[in-house]
Amino acid sequence: MKKSYGLLLSLVLLLVFALAACSSDSKDEADGGGKEPEQATKEGKDIVVAVASTLTSMDPHDTNDTLSGSVQRTIFEGLLGFDEEMNVVPMLAKEYSANDEATEFTFILNEGINFHDGTPFNAEAVKVNFDRLADPDSGLKRHSLYSLIANTEVVSEYEVKFTLSEPFGAMINTFAHPAGLIHSPKALEEFGKDVATNPVGTGQFKFVEWKPGEGLEVTKNEDYRIEDQPKVDGITFKPVTENGSRIAMLQTGEADFIYPVPTEQADSIDGENGIEVDSKPSIVVRYMTMNTLKEPYDDLKVRQALDLAVDKEAFIEVVTNGHASVLDSIIAPAVQYYSKQETTKPDIEKAKSLLKEAGLEDGFKAKIWGANNSSAMKAMQFLQQQFAQINVEVEVVPMEAGTLSDKIWSVQDPKDAEIEMYYGGWSPSTGDADWGIRPLLGGSENFPPKSYNVSYYDNPEVNGLIAEALETADSDKRAEAYEEVQSLLWNDLPWISLSAENTISGKKNYLTGIYLLPDGSLDVRNLEIKQ
Amino acid sequence: MTEVKLSKKEQYIKMSLENIENRTPFSEFWRKFKKQKLAFISFFFVIFLIVLSIIGPSIVPYDITEPDYVNVLSGPSAEHWAGTDAFGRDIFSRVIAGTQISLIVGLSSVLLGAVGGTLLGLIAGYYGKWVDRIIMRICDILLAFPGILLAIGIIAILGPGLSNVVIAVAIFGVPVFARIVRSSTLAVKSTLYVEATTSIGARPLRIIWKHIFPGTVSSIIVYFTMRIGSAILTAAALSFLGLGAQPPTPEWGAMLSGGRDYLNIAPHVTLFPGLAIFITALAFNLLGDGLRDALDPKIKE
Amino acid sequence: MFRFLIKRLIEIIPILIVVSILIFLFVHMIPGDPARLVAGPDATIEDVELVSKELGLDKPLVEQYVTYMGNLLKGDLGTSLKTNRPVSEEIGARFMPTFWLTLWSMVWATIAGLIIGVISATKRNKWPDYLGMFGAVSGLSLPAFWLGLMLIQLFAVTLGWFPTGGLESWKSYVLPAFTLGTGVAAVIARFTRSALMDVLKEDYVRTARSKGLQERNVIWGHSLRNAMIPVVTMTGLQFGFLLGGSVVIETVFSWPGLGKLLIDSVAFRDYPVIQAEMLIFALEFIIINLIVDLLYGILNPQIRYE
Repeated sequence: MKKSYGLLLSLVLLLVFALAACSSDSKDEADGGGKEPEQATKEGKDIVVAVASTLTSMDPHDTNDTLSGSVQRTIFEGLLGFDEEMNVVPMLAKEYSANDEATEFTFILNEGINFHDGTPFNAEAVKVNFDRLADPDSGLKRHSLYSLIANTEVVSEYEVKFTLSEPFGAMINTFAHPAGLIHSPKALEEFGKDVATNPVGTGQFKFVEWKPGEGLEVTKNEDYRIEDQPKVDGITFKPVTENGSRIAMLQTGEADFIYPVPTEQADSIDGENGIEVDSKPSIVVRYMTMNTLKEPYDDLKVRQALDLAVDKEAFIEVVTNGHASVLDSIIAPAVQYYSKQETTKPDIEKAKSLLKEAGLEDGFKAKIWGANNSSAMKAMQFLQQQFAQINVEVEVVPMEAGTLSDKIWSVQDPKDAEIEMYYGGWSPSTGDADWGIRPLLGGSENFPPKSYNVSYYDNPEVNGLIAEALETADSDKRAEAYEEVQSLLWNDLPWISLSAENTISGKKNYLTGIYLLPDGSLDVRNLEIKQ
Repeated sequence: MTEVKLSKKEQYIKMSLENIENRTPFSEFWRKFKKQKLAFISFFFVIFLIVLSIIGPSIVPYDITEPDYVNVLSGPSAEHWAGTDAFGRDIFSRVIAGTQISLIVGLSSVLLGAVGGTLLGLIAGYYGKWVDRIIMRICDILLAFPGILLAIGIIAILGPGLSNVVIAVAIFGVPVFARIVRSSTLAVKSTLYVEATTSIGARPLRIIWKHIFPGTVSSIIVYFTMRIGSAILTAAALSFLGLGAQPPTPEWGAMLSGGRDYLNIAPHVTLFPGLAIFITALAFNLLGDGLRDALDPKIKE
Repeated sequence: MFRFLIKRLIEIIPILIVVSILIFLFVHMIPGDPARLVAGPDATIEDVELVSKELGLDKPLVEQYVTYMGNLLKGDLGTSLKTNRPVSEEIGARFMPTFWLTLWSMVWATIAGLIIGVISATKRNKWPDYLGMFGAVSGLSLPAFWLGLMLIQLFAVTLGWFPTGGLESWKSYVLPAFTLGTGVAAVIARFTRSALMDVLKEDYVRTARSKGLQERNVIWGHSLRNAMIPVVTMTGLQFGFLLGGSVVIETVFSWPGLGKLLIDSVAFRDYPVIQAEMLIFALEFIIINLIVDLLYGILNPQIRYE
């Protein structure tokens, strides 16, 4: 009897060590290879890209997730696009111009381009697409971006003019937005709403197959307008939600490129197994809003105290493992019209005295809402720890996405809003300051349920400047207005700016020319295998 | 042949009933139970866990919520026996303090589920016919509701927090207990002695309580103890999906799930809470086996 | 027996109707507006209202249910709110991967569980028993996602024997089926042991033994059959659970199955997909339970059908 117990005990220990060893083994092995970066090799010219979530649609006009947008960009092209720095660059359009009032936009198109189905690309094709987007009865998810287009006119075969119903200074960026990709008019006619599963564009790759749950395959467009491109035969996009599994696929070579790479593991896999990790600034910002209609957050001193209590450098180290930078405005540096503000060092003593001045010497109790994924929970816990230093006792309330959106957006009267603190993030997909500021802090027009102003921040001065900036297409005037807006918001603290996130991707080192844009979408235009 | 079998059965039943009612029943149980060495050790381990769950939070060497950003993810050392987590908190302290939470979640959710399920199973199995059909179909529906959806629904409706996790986990258990108890009930009922008792005219409640319930106890106990471990794991799976305990609660499952992104670089973050779950489940299972043997009147020495 | 079968089959219809109502209500009770989730993270209120109208979510609940049921009777499961594809297509593509994974997991788990259970019961309180039950308890106590990730590390990354995930060839089944079956094997082993020990103490077993029957015959021929009722119950239940698709395992192994689909649809409040999946689960469960009930009768003729 005693003997068997001993046996059992040793078995337990054996199992534990064996399992523990599995994990440390692979690490040791990896460490050994670290001295001399190993060159990975590749057979064939088909690339596998593993991504974090499932695709939703192949109709750019009816898509709002960045991932589907990335895949669409291999198949489609727009009039304009973004480069690595989020600058607007011409694509199907050769050049463009706008009138001073920001109501008329004219595009000269490239000639001699055909869609994958042989249909020629011309002004008529552009009109068909933007008429579809501007039609309020279309039921398209991206209609609102283009709802201002009152008329699209075919000036000549290769010239097209858009007239807006009201001035909109950010329209050029909206044309570069991933939603503004151009379908083959023939496909639109033939498939109707089913273009979502039958995409036909002018891009480098042609659509092959999309198996629900398994992945989507595209193949080389032999007739692409730029010679010698693309340089790979095809790409397969596979959804792999679990971080650890995605990394394992890259390690074994089952995937050639993965994104995102969790910040926790980014440094440990870099340089091992022929893997290169690419961590670059994005336009995604992280912040904590405070409901400025509610006590005690209606007091600027309290907001200042909370801001001073948070060590942003530590936030970046602990929560994002260094893969982010301190956010020194309310929009990220890569967003157009960003203007740097002066950051303050955390100061617990000053924070406490501010609370005292506000009559909250003994601190107060608060609730912070946020998503229930592991990184948001980590961030909220960090904030909880930081605020504990000034006796602000925070309860972390993580919520599943549907519940959270219900809690936030089912509010009809701002006074009924339960929300206090909220940990959130924003990625202005147009890359323009307007979409980075207006929906979030642009006055009562944007309070839930209409938009995303969960700080319930309403400052007439800010509202006026935002409106001013939209009424012109003049870059200098817009920059001036946004500079002032950023400075006002920075000092009035409707939210605590935490970080500007990085996009992190991992690839085998034989790949070049594949990278993430600051808006988190994938660019494969120069993708090549170099061994 | 049948006659003999019947009377023998009844003798056993009588013996066991007398054991429980007349002779010092506890010492009889204890005598049998002590023979189960593994279970006996597990019993003390479970006692130890219960004691730990009471005094644990006050004897831990470190504050379980106090962060230490300088010592993030450091491996086991003399200072931090089980290393530190992503916030530099002492994992050993958190595992100890978490005993209370995990035990409460495990025990109370299984108990709730077992009581509900056993009642339903006994009634369905004994009465049969339409009662059985209705109850069992309700159970089928409950079972067919994927647990995750049920949990998301319950937690979305009731709000996050441990007590709602307990309710969600308990509801998973009800139909399973019901089916198991029902199948045992059917088996016991079909043995002749119950039919004989029924023909004598005993009241249904009495038959269920005195004759059928004891016959189902072994299945219930085995399954009960199995469920404690798996209830802790279900709570962990809920944490895996972000629906479990609210941070910074040191619930083992939450600690385990929170550490999975560090599996390659800091395996100790998942190893220790994982081990705690593992050993606790092991102890309850072994204890259950022992109890089963000790409580079963048919076991000869 | 035949009448019993017919009766149970007829019962399925009202059950499914009740289930459909319950599911419909439950799904709509969960907070969260699909229109907002479908419209995306930076949609304007106009977008949300548009989507809501497009999806018919602005109509009263009763009307939505009637429309839903009407379509259902025509065999139309609806269209996914998230992908705009027919629900039948979404589910059809994922049913077989989950089914085969479940089947292979159950096959190995049942065989392993029975063998371990029988050995444990016959060698009670000897080391094979301890070893078997220790293995079973371990199987029950290991968090599946942890086991899965460990197996990927060892057999896919380090040794390169099997793929890390996805469904490409028979090799793809090995790791997920092993992970999925571990817990089931453990449950079956424990139930077999427990039930067999009960039976082995029965008089007729003693009679059989005293008649001089070989021990192997006594166990495999006589006792096991009688011990099978709780085991069959449990196996059926587990089969039903697994057919629903395991969210955790399908996530870890990137398996294109129903569990993954469910969790994605719940996140999006994709009502038509959730409802259709749950109806299918309900149907699967009812059928499995029917088979289990029929097996009771085969295993123990004393159990009568009413």
